[in-house]
This record gives sequence, C-alpha cells and structure tokens, in this order.
Amino acid sequence: MLNYELTEDERDVLQELMNVAYGSATAVVADMLDAFASLNIPNISVITTNELLSTFDELKNESYFFATQSFNGEFSGESAFFIDQESANNLAHHLELENEEDLDDAILELTNVLTSSLTTKLSQEMDTEVTFSLPSLSKVSMTSIQETTTFQHYSQVIVIDTDLNFQDQKIHGKIFILTKDESIQWLKTKLNSILELLI
Amino acid sequence: MAQNKTQQHIRTLDIAKKIVANIDNGIIVLNEDLYIYHYNKWLEHHSGLKESDILDKKLDDVFKINSKTLKRKIKTALRLQTPTFYTASTSKYLIPIKINQIKNANFEYMQQDVSIIPFDEEKGLVALILTDQTIMANTNTLLEENIQTIKELNSNLLKERETIDKKVLVLKFDSSFRIVDISQALLELLHYEKEEMIGGNFLFHEKYHMTQELQMKLVSAIQELKVFEFEENTLSAHGYEIYFKSTLVPQYSAKGTHIGFIIFRENITDAKHLAQSQEKILASSRSAAMGEMVAMIAHQWRQPLSLINTIMATLKIKKELNQLQDDSINEAFKKIQNTTTYLSDTIDDFRDYFKPNKKYSEVNLLSLFENSIFFLKEEMHQYSINYSLEIPDSIMIVTYKNELLQSIINIIKNSIDAFKDKTIKNKTIIVKAESKESHIAIIIKDNAGGISKETLKKVFEPYFSTKSKNGTGLGLYMCHTIVTQHLKGQITMHSKDDETQTLLELPHKLIKGKQ
Repeated sequence: MLNYELTEDERDVLQELMNVAYGSATAVVADMLDAFASLNIPNISVITTNELLSTFDELKNESYFFATQSFNGEFSGESAFFIDQESANNLAHHLELENEEDLDDAILELTNVLTSSLTTKLSQEMDTEVTFSLPSLSKVSMTSIQETTTFQHYSQVIVIDTDLNFQDQKIHGKIFILTKDESIQWLKTKLNSILELLI
Repeated sequence: MAQNKTQQHIRTLDIAKKIVANIDNGIIVLNEDLYIYHYNKWLEHHSGLKESDILDKKLDDVFKINSKTLKRKIKTALRLQTPTFYTASTSKYLIPIKINQIKNANFEYMQQDVSIIPFDEEKGLVALILTDQTIMANTNTLLEENIQTIKELNSNLLKERETIDKKVLVLKFDSSFRIVDISQALLELLHYEKEEMIGGNFLFHEKYHMTQELQMKLVSAIQELKVFEFEENTLSAHGYEIYFKSTLVPQYSAKGTHIGFIIFRENITDAKHLAQSQEKILASSRSAAMGEMVAMIAHQWRQPLSLINTIMATLKIKKELNQLQDDSINEAFKKIQNTTTYLSDTIDDFRDYFKPNKKYSEVNLLSLFENSIFFLKEEMHQYSINYSLEIPDSIMIVTYKNELLQSIINIIKNSIDAFKDKTIKNKTIIVKAESKESHIAIIIKDNAGGISKETLKKVFEPYFSTKSKNGTGLGLYMCHTIVTQHLKGQITMHSKDDETQTLLELPHKLIKGKQ
C-alpha cells in the first residue's frame, strides 16, 4: 500500500506555498468585489479525510452553502468551499444582488476565484498546469454532507480557513482542497524537490 | 524553414477557424467593455443574427443581459488568467436564444453553461464559450419533480406505516418462521418488548393454545403459500388469555419472490367472553325450560291421575259392596290403560317439543298453534282464559319447528302468568297471523293489564322478571335469542291500556346457514 500521508516537512512546505498562493488570491478577490478588502492570514492545515468529517460534525448546526469545483492535470482533485448563510447574505448585500440566483452565481464566482487562484499559483510553484471544470453549488445540511461517500476518495485534505473583512461586514468561509491520491505521490515528489532547494 | 513555420502557422489557424465555425458551441470574443470581436456560425444560426451586423457593437446593446456581472467576470478572468464561469443550474442563460424543441418543454430559452476564457491579455480580450445544457437542465427539472413526488409518497407511506404500527395488530415472519417485525399495537396488547419477539420462531414463541388440527392446517397453509383465516388464543406476558381472529397472508417482494408471511390479527377477546357468558345463560335457560316442562306435565297429569284414582276408588267400593263384576273390572282396566297411555304420550310429546332438535321442516302455522295451545289448555281452563286462533289455514312456514313452538309457548305462558292473581273479566288471548310479502306476521294479544314503558324496555334482557316467585327471567330472553338468531326473525312487544301485544316477524322460508 502506498503512503499518502505527508511528512511534517512536506506539510510545512505545502503550507508555505499555500500562504503565497493565498496572498495572490486576496488581491483578485478584492478586485472582483471592487472594494477594499483585507484577508486575514489564513489558517492553513493539512488533514486526513477522517479529520475532515469530524470538522463537518462541528459545523452541523449551521446552515451552509456548499460549492465544489474540480481541477485536473498532474495535480488534480477537488475544492470544496463552505460559506455560512450570514456571510452569503453579506456578500449579496455588498454586490447589490437582487435575487437568490444572482447570489448563487456570486458564491460560485467566489469559489472559482479562490480555487483557481490558489491552485494556479500552487501549480505554477510546482511547475505544472491545471484546467478547471465548472463549479457547482448545493444547499445541503451538514448531516447529509457527512454521508457524501465521495469524500472517501481522498485521503489528504488541505484546509484553508479564511476571513474576508470589509469596512463594515465580514465574510467568512472555509476552503477544503482535496487532492486525489494519485496526485499525492506527485505532490510529495514536488514538495521534496522544493525542500532540497531550500536546504 | 521559416516558410515551413509560416505554413504550419497558417494550417493551425485554418484548423482553429474551421473548428470555431463548426463546433457545437457558441463562441463570442469580447473585450472588457463588451465590444464584439467575433461571433461564430453556431451563434449566427441559433440567434438569427449575422456576425457582420453585430461586429464592433456592444453585447449588452444587442442582447438584454446583466452587463455588470458579465464585466466583473471578464475582469476576473483577465486578472486571474484562468477561466470564470456561468452555470446553467444557477444562471440559466447568458444569451437569450429561443428554443423550439418539443422534448424540452420546461424552458423557453436555451439553458447555457458559459466559460469565460482569457484570450488576449494585451488587448484585454476574452472568449465566451456557450454550451447548450437545455437537455440536462430539462432532465434535472424532471428529476427534481420526480424526487418531490417520491418524497411526498414516501412521507405518506411513513405516516401510514406509523398508523398501522400504532393501530393494527400485525406480525411478520420470514420463510424460516423467524419473526422479523411486529406492530407496536400488538406488542402493547401482549405486553412484550420488541426485542423479546424479533428473531423468535413464530410457531413457538408465543404461548399458544392451538389444537393439533389447527397447527396442522396452519403449517400446511404456510407450506402451500395460501391465505388462511383462523382463530387462535395466546397468553400475554402478564398471563392474560387473548383471543384473535387471524389472517395469514404470504408476502412477496416487488419482484414477486416469496419473502415471508404477514399475520393480521383482530382482538376478539371481548366477543369471546360475551359468547361464553351467553352460552352460560342459554344453559341455565334450558334448565329453566326443563322446570317449566315438569310443571306443565304435572298440570297435564293431575286430571288423568285423579281419573285413575276415581276408577280405583269406584272399584274398591264396588268390591266392598260385592257388586264387582268382570265387565266393570275390564272396563276399569281399559280406562286405566288408556289413561296411562295418555300419561306416557304426554311425556313423549313434551320431550319431543322441548328438545331443541333443529329439525328444519315445512309446517302449517295453524296446527303449530293448536299444538302449543294443547300444552297450555289445562292452565287456561283453570284460570278461565278464553283463547281464539285467527290464523288462516293456508299459511305455511319453513323453519325450525320445535324452536318456534317453544317460543310461542313461552309467549302464551307469559300471558297466562299475567292473568294470575288478577280479577279481570273476559280474560282473552288472541293469536292472529298474516302472510305478508316479505314475511309472516304473528300477533299474540292479551288483556291482562298491560306493561309499563319502563318494563317494556327490559323484557328481553336476561334475568329480568316481574314475577316475584318462579320467574327465572329467562323466558323472553330465550324467545328473543331463538327468534332473532336461530329463526332470523324479529320480536317486539307493545302495550297500550290493558292490552299487551307481542309481534313476531318471521321469514316465509328460513335459509339454513351459519348461526
């Protein structure tokens, strides 16, 4: 059996890369929202799927929008973006949206922006290219998300906890980047070559 | 070499051009201010607009679109250098294109996924690629509708299941007699916990009182996968005896394979208890009838016995006076012999008539009443009661003869008893009968003083009697039971002033069947 777990060093490098990627995403999001927005230094961690499921458990009582987008290439997987109802309302307010469909579209746009900026930057750092599929949105309760068996296809999950702060409003969301097990081997090799350069 | 490169470049351009023209997607090239740079053939065909007519025009001038959102998406795509999107599921469509497909009846406009791809960074151009997702959207809509229907059906089903569980006594077992399900209602009745029942063998789990014969029948119904109705009794966990009327039904899966059995039960414990107490009442009423028979025989015998006594006394006197001759001895013996035969016949008659033999026959109503009067003649004579029978000789009835006779005697006896201890002039009992289309009506009327309304309400109840002595209170109750249950007729009693009238309504021809 192959080892899909990342070592501590590999995790450190990945987190560092994510920090850089997130920085570039911040600028794009601010641009998209056409407002001065600051993004807190994100809390980035790499966890296992079981840990992911227990994270969902904690979110159980709240109402969330849940959008996913898959990306393909040497580095392939899926990103899942969670945004709570209140934050979604704040986003709608900020973008002066008129109806629910526009809000859904805006959430998908935000998902796309975050996913593509993060993965593009990450793949650039690792010298590869990815293509993106259309994102899709579902409004499901956290209890049924836990039953979504497709999460079991992934053993490693990169979690980015993010806050978008506007002058008067906050938008809070969580992004989970789920890497396919086939990509993990490739990722480990890439991370290790970066590690060697650093040492 | 350079020429080769140029040629290759031209060839690539040519391929790209052909693909763009013929691909099954709409392609528009735009700049950030929505000015149109290219509009492919697919879009020309679908929208009915020529590229030449709209080049260098703004997209939001040509089509009604939300330009703010589109501009934002274009800006983001250019800034990010990765695609941005519209999805059909949330945004429906960007370019309004009327569709004329019968299959996609849910939508008036083509549903579109749109990818906005950064095309020329320098000039700030993007390419919009439209994909027709109408069929998919249509399928999704149908799916959504069906899911909704299924959800509703499911919730109805769950509610019904809940009701069944709470109200219906039902038990399921699989082909190897293992109990797989039992309703809450049955558990509550039996005072068992679900865990105690599930997994147990149906044939042995409950403490059954089943006859060997019933067990055999049940097992063979199970083996032959037949529907089987039966009565069973079992003990609850608390030791109460519970009677069930049960129906065994084989159960099949949706694919038609046999998966087990369901037993529907009806709690008939109360009805059983009632029937048992009714049987007790009937038994005691039979012994009451026996007592009455003895009393009637005694009445009947008094006169012939005194006749024998007189003959004996006469013989004795004649002997003492030495006047006894052979002739008178023979005559006396003959009289005694006749009288004893009469006494013996009386017993036979009573026994025959009082035995509920359920003999089904056609009888003449008039002669039946004449018979009944015969049993009561003595008593009526003693109390100076006149009686008359106004029954046409033509009325015939097919019924249980003895049971009807018993009832009639009971009713007339009741009238006679009412006359006792009363000084009434012209004591009369009249019996009338009339053949109607649907039934035969028999009226037994007396002028023995009438019955109060309160009493009338209770006359057919068991153990009700106005007679302080001798009354068992079962006579009219018996009549009621016999007439309504065995003879399938009706009996009612009315009273006005001094008169009481009992009305019997009986079918012309009793159809034998279940009792």
